[in-house]
Amino acid sequence: MTFENTILTLVMFVPLLGAILVALYGRSEDGNSDGIKKLAIGVTVVTFVLSLPLAILFDAKSAGYQFIARAGWIDAAGLKVDYHVGIDGLSLWLVLLTTLIMPIALLASYSAITKRIREYLVLMLILETGMIGVFCALDMFLFYVFWEVMLIPMYLIIGVWGGERRIYASIKFVLYTMIGSLLMLVAIIALYLMHGKATGFYTFDIPLITQSIAAGMLMIPLDTQLWLFGAFAIAFLIKVPLFPFHTWLPDAHVEAPTAGSVILASVLLKMGTYGLMRFNVPMFYEASISLAPIICVFAVFGIVYGALVAMVQPDIKKLVAYSSVSHLGFCVLGIFSLTSMGMQGALYQMLAHGLSTGALFLIIGMIYERRHTRQISEFGGLATPMPQFSTLFMITTFASIGLPLLCGFVGEILVLIGTFTSTTLEGAKWFAAVAATAMVWGAVYMLWMFQRVVMGDVTNPENAKLPDLNLREKVVLVPLVVLMIVMGVYPVFFTKRSQPALDAAIQKSSPVPPQKAQAPARMP
Amino acid sequence: MEKYVNYITILPEAIVSLFAFVLMLVDAYTGGRKRKLYAWISLGGLVAAGASIGWIAVLLSTNASMAPVSTYMGMLTTDPFRLAFSTIALVVSALTVLASMAWLDEDSLPAGEFHTLLMFATVGMLLMASAGDLVMIFLGLEILSIATYVLAGYRRRDLRSNEAGLKYYILGSFATAFLLYGMALTYGATRSTSLEGIRLAITSGKVEWTWLLLVGGAMMLVGLCFKISAAPFHVWTPDVYEGAPSVVTGWMSTGPKAAAFAAFLKIYIAVFAVGAPILGLAGATQTALAIIAVTTMVVGNVVAMVQDNIKRMLAYSSIAHAGYALVGVIANDWHSVAFYLLCYGVMNIGAFAVVAAIGRRYDRETMLDDYRGLGWESRGLSIAFAVFMFSLAGFPMTAGFMGKFLVFKSAWEKGLSMLVIFAVLNSAISVYYYLRPIVLMYFSAAPDSDRRRSVLGAAAVAALAISVAGVFYLGMMPDAVLKFFALSAK
Repeated sequence: MTFENTILTLVMFVPLLGAILVALYGRSEDGNSDGIKKLAIGVTVVTFVLSLPLAILFDAKSAGYQFIARAGWIDAAGLKVDYHVGIDGLSLWLVLLTTLIMPIALLASYSAITKRIREYLVLMLILETGMIGVFCALDMFLFYVFWEVMLIPMYLIIGVWGGERRIYASIKFVLYTMIGSLLMLVAIIALYLMHGKATGFYTFDIPLITQSIAAGMLMIPLDTQLWLFGAFAIAFLIKVPLFPFHTWLPDAHVEAPTAGSVILASVLLKMGTYGLMRFNVPMFYEASISLAPIICVFAVFGIVYGALVAMVQPDIKKLVAYSSVSHLGFCVLGIFSLTSMGMQGALYQMLAHGLSTGALFLIIGMIYERRHTRQISEFGGLATPMPQFSTLFMITTFASIGLPLLCGFVGEILVLIGTFTSTTLEGAKWFAAVAATAMVWGAVYMLWMFQRVVMGDVTNPENAKLPDLNLREKVVLVPLVVLMIVMGVYPVFFTKRSQPALDAAIQKSSPVPPQKAQAPARMP
Repeated sequence: MEKYVNYITILPEAIVSLFAFVLMLVDAYTGGRKRKLYAWISLGGLVAAGASIGWIAVLLSTNASMAPVSTYMGMLTTDPFRLAFSTIALVVSALTVLASMAWLDEDSLPAGEFHTLLMFATVGMLLMASAGDLVMIFLGLEILSIATYVLAGYRRRDLRSNEAGLKYYILGSFATAFLLYGMALTYGATRSTSLEGIRLAITSGKVEWTWLLLVGGAMMLVGLCFKISAAPFHVWTPDVYEGAPSVVTGWMSTGPKAAAFAAFLKIYIAVFAVGAPILGLAGATQTALAIIAVTTMVVGNVVAMVQDNIKRMLAYSSIAHAGYALVGVIANDWHSVAFYLLCYGVMNIGAFAVVAAIGRRYDRETMLDDYRGLGWESRGLSIAFAVFMFSLAGFPMTAGFMGKFLVFKSAWEKGLSMLVIFAVLNSAISVYYYLRPIVLMYFSAAPDSDRRRSVLGAAAVAALAISVAGVFYLGMMPDAVLKFFALSAK
């Protein structure tokens, strides 16, 4: 029980504990709910503070997992599941992104949620545990548990507190995700049994299985690899979502309450790309090479398609939702460039998208609370009544477009260079060339939207007297905007911690002569 | 093998029968007025029988030879299989006793007879779990079925309940006839009614009339598929499950179904799965069962989607679940099937207990629309119901997930990959209709008219609490139960 091996468990389960506290605290009715709101926000802030040591104490030189905690969970009837958590350079920043976004999302919904507040907060906190769990789980079974359990709170959040078509959107969200993830479950079972037969050691342990594959102790024939790759990939690509599996996303985004959209965009979509980087590439490298061109075709198509569809949306929220399809296409392209730089770019783009799109949804929520509409045509000239708001909006827009010195640029340029220089991806240069046009598309739809909402004269008299940001809204937005700038100016702080893990993901999986390969460090 | 009568091995059945007789007498002498007492007597009997199962388990695990103990000329077999399925029968019946108390009072139905019938049905289930002979299987099945026919029609003044009882009786007798005829033909072919004898006859190639065995086997298959409500022999299920009182439906869909699966597994292991070169019996059965399993899952899940009555929806869901369990049967892994059925028992009895509470007197409110906005009115009931729905849908951390996971794992291990993929896709479809009640309870506004709050009673609350706890216990900490089921595998 050292600090090192308890901190991650604490970060994961403090929100769950908070959920129990919120459920039991006091007997306040809907009218007087400040107590539980503050309690819930307090819990998420504590979680965030607890997660900060992860970044500070993280050993940037190590490619392995850190802050590992391990205990037996189920061991019966040929089923061996461990509670095994830990983070590496890949999951570190995603955990921090989650713990950062949660207090912001809760603060943002402070006044927007007016009914069933206690239930809302409880679900949000359970959701946080689920999301952190997905990024920390090092046991496939545990990973799957978190992956699925997290669906339920999100489903209820969209369904109870969502917009008009919430029922349709929530069911679509669950069904899409379920179909994908159940196929992944089959692949998990298959991998478990295969590893057991090959090494005599039945385990769901992700690092161990990855090592066995890299060391040649578990040789999976290519056709089996393709099946397994496909089963994992469908689950993750639906979540990403890659074109053509993206149709659940605009519905879910538009119908979800602001905080739901923020979490969906900032964290939930990242689980798909995270899964690709954690499972598909390191475990099924040969299959990744042979399927990469097909996936990249869809990724590039999605980049352009998302951008074009975003351009014609009259609803700001839908516009941002489609821009997510475009941005996440970049991440997928970066991953399947199968270069260290491309992967780094994908990870960076994931974080940058988490910040900038999260902030965009918050901004949309703020103007929706003021005007109860999200139609672009209803706005215009917001810079006059709301100068502070417009400034932050502008920086966020530029970050989303990928202006240099802001976070979006670093990710996109790394992905493009990584793809361009990729030797494993066939036709890499073409992919890079088409994807590069998206930087233009992005500028077109985002700037055009920004121009119609913020610039010019106030055309609609209702907009003339809108109040500028209040203190709560500033507290919500400013940290995100500051981070966008920090990530754009000093990316090395972030990349140097994730680089070893990403290098290892590529190296581990490239064919290594057996004598050079390291035997799995530990056979528990 | 023993020369004396081994009383210990018949103890669970004997205890339950004894309590059932005592219950009848007490009922007669108290004139049916001590309603609570009857329930406690039957609970006491079930708990005592459970204790005897525990004792037998201790004896078995300390027995050096660990061989299955065969008693009464091979009529009863005491092995981990028996212990597992007896446990399921007792758990399911005990939960039903708890859930039934409030309902029997609400409908003002006689309590003594109900509990007596339930106890005798339990004896039937226990016998089916311990049978080592086709004759015993049939005997157990009949004891169980006759009690079940009466229970299904237990609301004498309710037409739907009458219809359910009658329908189940007529169709059930028909299916039983198939089973019995099949057993007779099998006996003719193998010259033995003992499961062990049949297995030996097949493996040593002593079957003279192989086609007789095939026909007999096929007829037994029909009878058994009827009892587990596998498609295309499932047609009775929705009508009977809808008409029978909700608590009885909950019990029928779990207890008798588990017992039927026990019989199915016994016959499957003894007759069908034997790898003897008899006209490819094993392969043919496997193919037939695979087709039946897939049909069952598809019919159950697809038709459940369009139901407006919650009981019919759960009836089709029950059909689908029989399909998942069949996958485990085909994989010839009774451990996972038993675990699956225990999980299904706990969650489905819980779900029907909620349906009974919400349906109230004579199950008047069992349409899905009656659940509108209920989530914010009857909070405890709704949360419990949501837990059962998520579990039935197979979300992790719940019993439903763990059960499915183990079944699918052992099927994949046996190379039944296509079957597993079918099953998995089916359970993805099933999420749709399991979410419908949740959508209505939580996402829809309540109707304007005032609803009377459901009256549960302490016993039903206890049943629900145990079911919810069981759902999470089996879903998160299945170790103890799995180890108990795998007593011999140590």
